[in-house]
Amino acid sequence: MIAFFAIYGDYAAEWLPRLVLAARVTATLSLLGFVLALVLGAVLVAAQRTHVAALRRAAAAFVQFVRAVPLLALLLALYFGLPSFGLTLPGYWVGVLGLGIQGAAYVAEVLRGGLDAVHRGQREAALAAGLTPLAAFRFVVLPQAMRVMLPPLLNAYVSLLKDSSLCALIATDELMLTARAMASEYFLPLHVFVLVGLFYFAIAFPLSMCSRLLARRLGRGRRTLGTNQG
Amino acid sequence: MTTVVDILPHILALLGDGALTAAQIAAGAAAIAFVGGLVLAVVNVFTQLVAVRLAIAAYTEWMRNVPALAHLFLLYFGLASVGVRLTPLAAAIVGLGLVGAAVLCDVFSAGLRALHVGQREAALAVGLTPLQALRFIVLPQVLRLTLPAIGNYASQLVKDTSIASAIAAPEIMFFARNLVTSTFETPLIYASAIALYAAIVLPVSWLFARLERRLAAAGGMGGAR
Repeated sequence: MIAFFAIYGDYAAEWLPRLVLAARVTATLSLLGFVLALVLGAVLVAAQRTHVAALRRAAAAFVQFVRAVPLLALLLALYFGLPSFGLTLPGYWVGVLGLGIQGAAYVAEVLRGGLDAVHRGQREAALAAGLTPLAAFRFVVLPQAMRVMLPPLLNAYVSLLKDSSLCALIATDELMLTARAMASEYFLPLHVFVLVGLFYFAIAFPLSMCSRLLARRLGRGRRTLGTNQG
Repeated sequence: MTTVVDILPHILALLGDGALTAAQIAAGAAAIAFVGGLVLAVVNVFTQLVAVRLAIAAYTEWMRNVPALAHLFLLYFGLASVGVRLTPLAAAIVGLGLVGAAVLCDVFSAGLRALHVGQREAALAVGLTPLQALRFIVLPQVLRLTLPAIGNYASQLVKDTSIASAIAAPEIMFFARNLVTSTFETPLIYASAIALYAAIVLPVSWLFARLERRLAAAGGMGGAR
């Protein structure tokens, strides 16, 4: 057991800088993907709430379809398929695109659920009090919807962060691909993959905890089997 | 000059083989996940030992906050380096199963906690043993309560089998990549693979949605939580 950890002492100086650099790629990759997911998700929700039936149906079909396709299939199709149509993107940007599309379907559901959770009387009252529709949305509906949406949105980012590891398979130098290279370079796959797991954990776990604490604060006051144990 | 019509049956046959492997991986992983998740959840909710709860929390948090790909690499490459050689198929089943056990442990724990205490109290009051109360009163309701989450997990699991191609398990994406290098019909092959996944995942989620509706109607307690 001690010998196992001694390895880390020997190699920390070589491994950590490389993994920190790769972690930054993972961070920007997943953040850009998440921003794209938020934008696309908002567009999808807007499309689902219009009066144009065709638009509503198209948005719903898109969400259903994307949720039925594995991210890896999407990434490989975009990375290797787009060049056939004259568009060659580096793995990093295919990753952002794929994560954004995949995330959008999930984010759209979250946004929709959040908006639905706000009683429509809130908006009606705001309009009656003389707010413009935009102001009613911005100052009355959105702040309340935000309380419902925030925990699942954090979860969406965490899964997007984990999913960004698949970009290793389309030649993006993020954490997982760097770890694979290091594992074969040093012949220490167990050590390297445990360490890279810790890197992901160090980013994802605090966010997951935040999400759970937020969700718990919103759901107080029910007597259930779990009540005694908090 | 071969045309798309000539080559499509070949593509579909190989991808179909991959789908069978994917089904094996999903079935094996689901079995581990379901049993493991249920046992962990019951222990988690009913134990008085803080250390046990902490250990379960550590397990589920590690499994859920690290990418599945890392778990597969750990099991496949990592364990091989210390002499435990798993086949790609076994590593995929065990890896996705262990991740799934953590996911379902959280699902079932939440379900157990969401069930009104009166259900268990009443069962014990009429003379059922704690185990009988769990088996006949608590778990059936918890399963119904958590059915939507189990359904989500099931379709996610089918999609996650694609990750097993990274450790060379011969599933759909593995064959798709091989076919691309041998035929160069890139868009056709990936479109077929995507259609194949959709053809598996959509029925799975419809099945769970139907099951949900039926059980909710039959029990008359679907909305009672």
